[in-house]
Amino acid sequence: MAGASTVLEDGTLLSRIDRRLFRLESLLALIGGLAVFSLMLLAVASVGGRNFLNRPIPGYVDWIEQAMPLIAFVGISYCQRLGGHIRMDMFVGRLRGRVLWAIEFIGLLFILVLVLMMVWGGWAHFERSFDWSAPYWSRDSSLDIRLPLWPAKLLVPVAFSVLGLRLALQLWGYGRALLSGTARPVAVPLIEDASAIAAHEAETVSGLDDNGRFG
Amino acid sequence: MDPIDIGLIVTGFLLVLVVLGIRVAFAAAIAGLVGLIWIFWAKRGHDPEQFLWALTVAVKTAGQVPHSKISSQALSLIPTFILIGFLAYYAGLTKALFEAAKRWVGWLPGGLAVSTVFATAGFAAVSGASVATAAVFARIAIPEMIAIGYDKRFAAGVVAAAGTLASLIPPSAILVIYAIIVEQDVGALLLAGFLPGAFSALVYGGLVVGMAVVFKNFGPPVGGFSWRERLRVLPSVFPIFFVIAIIILFIYNPFGGDAWGTPTEGGALGAFVVFVMALHRGMRWPQLKSALMETAKLSVMIFTIIWGVLVYVRFLGFADLPGEFSDWITSLEQSPFLTLVLILLAYAILGMFMDAIGMLILTLPVVFPAVIALNGGMSVAAAESAFGMSGVGCAIWFGIIVVKMAELCLITPPIGLNCFVVAGVHPELSVQDVFKGASPFFVADALTIAGLLLFPGIVLYLPNLLLGG
Repeated sequence: MAGASTVLEDGTLLSRIDRRLFRLESLLALIGGLAVFSLMLLAVASVGGRNFLNRPIPGYVDWIEQAMPLIAFVGISYCQRLGGHIRMDMFVGRLRGRVLWAIEFIGLLFILVLVLMMVWGGWAHFERSFDWSAPYWSRDSSLDIRLPLWPAKLLVPVAFSVLGLRLALQLWGYGRALLSGTARPVAVPLIEDASAIAAHEAETVSGLDDNGRFG
Repeated sequence: MDPIDIGLIVTGFLLVLVVLGIRVAFAAAIAGLVGLIWIFWAKRGHDPEQFLWALTVAVKTAGQVPHSKISSQALSLIPTFILIGFLAYYAGLTKALFEAAKRWVGWLPGGLAVSTVFATAGFAAVSGASVATAAVFARIAIPEMIAIGYDKRFAAGVVAAAGTLASLIPPSAILVIYAIIVEQDVGALLLAGFLPGAFSALVYGGLVVGMAVVFKNFGPPVGGFSWRERLRVLPSVFPIFFVIAIIILFIYNPFGGDAWGTPTEGGALGAFVVFVMALHRGMRWPQLKSALMETAKLSVMIFTIIWGVLVYVRFLGFADLPGEFSDWITSLEQSPFLTLVLILLAYAILGMFMDAIGMLILTLPVVFPAVIALNGGMSVAAAESAFGMSGVGCAIWFGIIVVKMAELCLITPPIGLNCFVVAGVHPELSVQDVFKGASPFFVADALTIAGLLLFPGIVLYLPNLLLGG
């Protein structure tokens, strides 16, 4: 089971587009992270307001429910770029070269079709709640303070469209690897063995304690 | 074709996709979508002209799952718990905990190893992730243990094993996920993990002390700390106690009256305290940004599996596969307890090859209703049930045991990730060394699981206070 990977880079058009898109994806992921952070601040304000000022934040739960799609969806492509979505690689981890790239290509094609369907389905879900002529363009709203629901619903097809772009790029990458038979293709996450994953894991937490002032 | 046949074929298709290495979240959603299309089309007699209709209905059914299922307050606990974990590294809590544990329990036989177990258990209280916990303590504790004469394999094994404690001691992300998938009270499950987690830590500690008494040259105790030194170290680990206390108080108020708030608020307050502590320790924007990015990535990964599997679950509902599986399980002519043990053994084997979260989310929609049916159904009274507990009690009890089981697999070959992580941090140790060092804890865990199976009270005592059962 793997959750982190290396992505190689070079000067080709594919790799340049890959890095461009990655910048957008990183920005989106940061927005997701900031949404988590705001959730934390919101809860602190809510508890504080309720207990010390006797004034709870109106629509606290509504805001959480609006923030959840930001956290859950906008980083989905970032995670895919880094190979962060878990998979079982006991079988594919043993494959090499063209056979491996062919399997990856077919698997990715399945996912791309799924994601395009989900963009369609997610858009339909959004369309049902969006109406140019309604107040706030909204046909439905949250329970407590009546926030319009369509912005959160719109995030699904938007985030999935970015994911679709990413998948198309990765298809390109695997397709090129399939044709050339290279062992080290660019712009796609490479399978790593458990020790490399471990090294990644150690990297994310190393040097952190050295910031502390404990002796 | 019967819906149930479609259910079985599509589930087989899902297994093929997973084995072929398609990312679990998408494999589940693909299987779910294909299954929905097929089942709707079958209703219209597989008429070619009706295929487009079936496709449209299926896509619209699946398309509303991500937004409608993810926009829930209970799920917001997951990113908050993850954030606490990432911030905790910057709050200097790991070294402080190890130091505190050394001063308080270092005098015991095998003291430094016992300290490692308790420091790791303490860190588990702010971190929901086993693998990361093992990585941190591998850097801090192993060199100290080796320096005073511990066997390096054992030192590594202690860290790998103690890292698994994070999954039960609140805040545990995996228990929140379990609660969401099986639609049980999140607070009750978090509370339920506390005693078994502490119990596991005590079993580990006892095992180390026992080994130190039996084997010569095991590793000397580290003593000589005055009470003054012991008390002085406490303020630096204060956030840990605060986080535990606040999460429990926001779920259940032991002084009578309502809980102080919701688990979500408790988790967020805990995160805030750790955040302030990290600021105080010198965390600045670059570190905060990296913590936020890591939190975002891990959260998205988990949420993607959740909605992916829920698309599949939507299909399973139409195919009634869980119902059929439950009927089959309950019709077996053997004791329900034996059936339960066999299910758990199947998880142990599966866990050797699959990631814990993926394995649980993928299997629970079918397995969980069967386990509840074994006990006598969701609304059964404790007196009439097979396992001597209510339906809700059974849901909680099974959840804790299955999570413990999944975590056990983090220290078993061939892919026990904790052992790889520890070996990865210390290149002088081979993975085999760590597996060998962790093997006594494997036995300890088997005993713990047997204990939890035979004495459900350890799991159910705290949640019963909350649920008033």
